[in-house]
Amino acid sequence: MPVTPYALRVRDVRKAYGSRQVLRGVSLDLRPGTLAGMVGENGAGKTTLLRILCGQTAAGSGEVDIRGSLGYCPQETVLNDFLTVDQHVRYFRAAYGLRSTGRAEELIEELHFAEYRHTRVDDLSGGTRQKLNLTLALMHDPSVLLLDEPYQGFDWETYLRFWSLAARLRDSGRCVLVVSHLAWDAERLDVLHRLREGVAEPWEPGGRTAAPADGDGR
Amino acid sequence: MNGVNGTWRRLGTAVGFALLEHARNRFALVLVLFYIPLWLSLESWFVARKPASFMLRATGRTLTVDGNHLTMISGAVNTVTLIVGFMMFMTTFKSLAFDRRLAFAGYPRVHLLVAKVAAMTLAAALIAAYATAVVHCYWAPVRPGLLTAGLFTAAVAYGGIGILLGSFLRNELEGMFLIIMISLLDTMLQNPISNPEASKDGVHLLPEYGPTQVSMAAGFTHAVPYRQLLLGPAWFAAMWLLGTAAFHLRTRDHRPRGRTPRPAGRALD
Repeated sequence: MPVTPYALRVRDVRKAYGSRQVLRGVSLDLRPGTLAGMVGENGAGKTTLLRILCGQTAAGSGEVDIRGSLGYCPQETVLNDFLTVDQHVRYFRAAYGLRSTGRAEELIEELHFAEYRHTRVDDLSGGTRQKLNLTLALMHDPSVLLLDEPYQGFDWETYLRFWSLAARLRDSGRCVLVVSHLAWDAERLDVLHRLREGVAEPWEPGGRTAAPADGDGR
Repeated sequence: MNGVNGTWRRLGTAVGFALLEHARNRFALVLVLFYIPLWLSLESWFVARKPASFMLRATGRTLTVDGNHLTMISGAVNTVTLIVGFMMFMTTFKSLAFDRRLAFAGYPRVHLLVAKVAAMTLAAALIAAYATAVVHCYWAPVRPGLLTAGLFTAAVAYGGIGILLGSFLRNELEGMFLIIMISLLDTMLQNPISNPEASKDGVHLLPEYGPTQVSMAAGFTHAVPYRQLLLGPAWFAAMWLLGTAAFHLRTRDHRPRGRTPRPAGRALD
């Protein structure tokens, strides 16, 4: 029997903060070329799970296996206020060891913030900071993408562009996991998981229509 | 060879951006440009020009000097320690999450830390030279070059303390408070104004002790206290090593080794 290829495999990941058990055995398999979503109410452990997947937080137990390079877009914009957009791109080009900033240039054009290339981050709006935050996670064209509420602060047009970009990444074989506390985007996803009581389960919101997770509204 | 080029390129990039960060830190620039002259000018104006005696342990001699000049040297040491201490605390504290993101993207942690030190060294040298120049506007220290060196060692000692505090504290106010308290205690315990004899064992272990001895010797004698010149940098080295350990702990990768590749792209040519 052929082995199913996977890009991201999570097995029985558990995590507790003191006596509070946040993750009680999360298991998940995502194949290359998948656009997946993970929803859950505030405090369900979504960000903790992503931080474990990218290595920033240690799991209490369990296994994580990621095949290929990884891109992580944190929920809070993690940028340097004193540097410009271009300087961030150059800094991360050196970090990723890239030959050129070609992919970053494409993303900057696609997300429509080229006019701010020479603007320092502390002079950028929240939405533009988030565009840069996302660009830094994608500019090395990773195989697996972990995006934590990646469209916070985006206007409607940018929000749509984000989903179009995510779909193209999926079509080119990338595995994209988008975490949100809302299930508004269920129709755009290939697979949706819901993190509830520390466990991730496949979930299909009622009739595949837009619905908030556990009563969380926008 | 490609690897060596890549290493230097990454180090150069990190140093360049660390310097840029300091240059764009307007608050620190305002402190340097206006606070140092203000502090020293106020001391020059308010402190009486009466003789003051103290034991310069670096030479083993008791000196009697102009109390106004003594206060200005003490003030110069104090201003550079506070400014560089704050500067390095803030830059380490505020950039911790960003540095962690860079490290996870593949930036060698050592390069990021060395870049911070290189930028701090240049900033400390410029600030020490500027403070010496301001002192020189009011009176002529015997060895102005050595005074700059003394102030530089004071600055790097507190720069190291700032890096250490910035690496593990989680609150800006805690860092500010601690730097002021450490500096106050340090000054009160070994400074020739508050403790002219400074005769108790262990006083030489205080971070400002070596730099103060060098600065006093530079202001009033022809002696060069080489041993005391090393005490400030020794403090810096100890603090930096502890800060480096804290930085590694807070930016370590928790993924199992050997199973999960780093999130890097292609190799740098």
